[in-house]
Amino acid sequence: MPSAPTRDERIATSDALHARARAFASAFEAGAEMPEPFDALACDLARFQASTSTGFARLCRARRVDPASLTRAIDVPAVPTDAFKLTRVATFPPEESAIVFRTSGTTIGARGEHAMRNVGTYDKAALAFGRRWLARDLAKRVPVLVVGPSPEELPDSSLVHMCATFARELGRPAKRGTTFVVNDGVIDLSVLDERVSYALADREPVLVLGTSFAFVHLLEAIGDEMPFRLPEGSRVMQTGGYKGKSREVPAGELRRDLAKLFSVDERAIVSEYGMTELSSQFYERTLFESSPHGVYAEPPWARVVPVDPETLEPVADGEIGLAKILDLMNVDSAVAVLAQDRVRRVEGGFELLGRAPGAPPRGCSIAIDEIMGRTGEAEA
Amino acid sequence: MSGEVRRILAAARNVVEGAERSGLVGALVDATGLSPEGVRRALARHLELDATEEEIASLVRAAGEAPEVTVILSANVFVGALRAIALARAAAPRVVVRPSRREAVFAPALASAMRALGDEGIRIEADVRIEDVARGEIHVYGRDATIADVRAHAREGVRVRGHGTGMGVAWVSRSADLEAAAEALADDVVAFDQQGCLSPRLVLVEGDIARAELFGSAVHEALAAAERLVPRGLVPAEVRAESERWINTMAYVGAVCTGETHAVAVTEGTAVAPSPTHRHVWISAASDVLAARALVAPLARAVVAFGTDRPEAAGEIAPAWARVSRLGAMQRPRLDGPVDNRAS
Repeated sequence: MPSAPTRDERIATSDALHARARAFASAFEAGAEMPEPFDALACDLARFQASTSTGFARLCRARRVDPASLTRAIDVPAVPTDAFKLTRVATFPPEESAIVFRTSGTTIGARGEHAMRNVGTYDKAALAFGRRWLARDLAKRVPVLVVGPSPEELPDSSLVHMCATFARELGRPAKRGTTFVVNDGVIDLSVLDERVSYALADREPVLVLGTSFAFVHLLEAIGDEMPFRLPEGSRVMQTGGYKGKSREVPAGELRRDLAKLFSVDERAIVSEYGMTELSSQFYERTLFESSPHGVYAEPPWARVVPVDPETLEPVADGEIGLAKILDLMNVDSAVAVLAQDRVRRVEGGFELLGRAPGAPPRGCSIAIDEIMGRTGEAEA
Repeated sequence: MSGEVRRILAAARNVVEGAERSGLVGALVDATGLSPEGVRRALARHLELDATEEEIASLVRAAGEAPEVTVILSANVFVGALRAIALARAAAPRVVVRPSRREAVFAPALASAMRALGDEGIRIEADVRIEDVARGEIHVYGRDATIADVRAHAREGVRVRGHGTGMGVAWVSRSADLEAAAEALADDVVAFDQQGCLSPRLVLVEGDIARAELFGSAVHEALAAAERLVPRGLVPAEVRAESERWINTMAYVGAVCTGETHAVAVTEGTAVAPSPTHRHVWISAASDVLAARALVAPLARAVVAFGTDRPEAAGEIAPAWARVSRLGAMQRPRLDGPVDNRAS
């Protein structure tokens, strides 16, 4: 076992790895070849993480994986998302954190934490892939509305951070009012109304971003009233699980209701899949391609591999497995993450098939899910 | 009603005595997934057949009175039917029991043995419609969702007593002999393959991580030895998946050692949660009683049983409603009332 790097060595290595990861996003934005093989960077990240994180080094030993010998990304041991709830999953000490994203709470009071030393890599990747599937046809900045709280109100939500990044980088500042239409947990319909009215007057398409549960609350607040007729070319990104924050609505029904509410085609309702423990996101391609809803595209810097829940080995093509997610943007945390979501590879990406239940409670023994608050991995 | 309870105990003794020749052991192996040795041990050690008069009187007081009781049983700890039926019969002259669909063996055997002793007050019914229960009480055992569902469908005037899911927590004090404590804990874990609400799923060891690791090694050895005497039964696919996930999580979070049929993890300074069932043990170091209490606090509502080498000091950590016992006796609660003392 090589000795742990010094602080300066660690930071230098981390910075170099961040640069290599960002080069993937830059190449993607430029329509160029990826700068290096996925496996090469994934294995280098695993070696770095094993040298700087005792937890990951232990996991490698438990899985009988020698990081020095790794040549394939798929062989990198995946860190279960529960680990983020129980301990620090990071290659650096807390004082170097630039930002800490947190998951929803659990019964045991533990919120999963994903600390980042350099959030620029997250932002670059999120923006590159988000633009591709939400805004690649927009020649100029457009009004962005977030049906959610602002980063000031919820600074530790990765989803809010991502929406704010999109609003900043893709959006045109509001003439009046605000981008974020949820304040203290209440949707401000007047702000929404006003922003839509301005967009209509200016004949500008609008990009609406929000969580599934916020949209359900919005739909319930609107009821049978007149819809918010968005200008032509508008689109809606919806994401996230419900986590008990609203009634749960089947994806197809929510999509139909949102399309009706905003007077847009259902194909303009685009689902995003992400989680706090990752730095990359996945999108439906329906806005620009004839891909069906429910199939998510991966960026060239992330892969979703269905694995057998008992062996954690990849399942055969077309079979359902747990999502083992290889994320090259997770430079300082875990390049491989084991989610609790069930997925299946299909042409053009993967299908998200809902959460894999933990062992169901039988009789009187309490289920771990009841304690760990595993209500799906979609980000908070 | 003490007489009825004593008759139930006599019936249970008859069931146990004839368990091999009646085919009950085999039927329970098939129904529960426990190994034959696991079933035999449960019958021999974990049926509360020797209740004292004082305990029976306490159970009768706890039972109250009702014209009729309908009992909805859950699976898992099949011997639990004895207490459930005793409580119901102590409360009412007429009892209807709906056994679990997965384990419809022990309760019918017990009811049959009671009829043989002249008690006709208990009827087994596989299909009980909650809406059809016209009076008295419904005693429902199982998940919170099941209890809520029964409450939602119960008629007005019918009282529903819910007995929800739970877990056991063990505390190994600074003065404990670690090897003895580990052997006793292994007994508690092995019973019913850890599927009961009294089964220890979390152990707090007073002291530093080194002591917790020493205890972890001792538990690892004790569980390996226990496997030779009482092999683990069938493990459902979902539990095998849960196990794999847990072992990987714990490898990252702390230290984990796995045997052929068990796994032991040791952590320090993290939040804690129950381990999977089927012989998985989560051990956490706790520097002192205060630290232990802080670890247990978020889980307190789920804690039904509390085992320790120092029962006299359990009140410093255990929730007030938890059944306190010595390590090794967590799965042998006195027959003095409901096993779950949380308010229903």
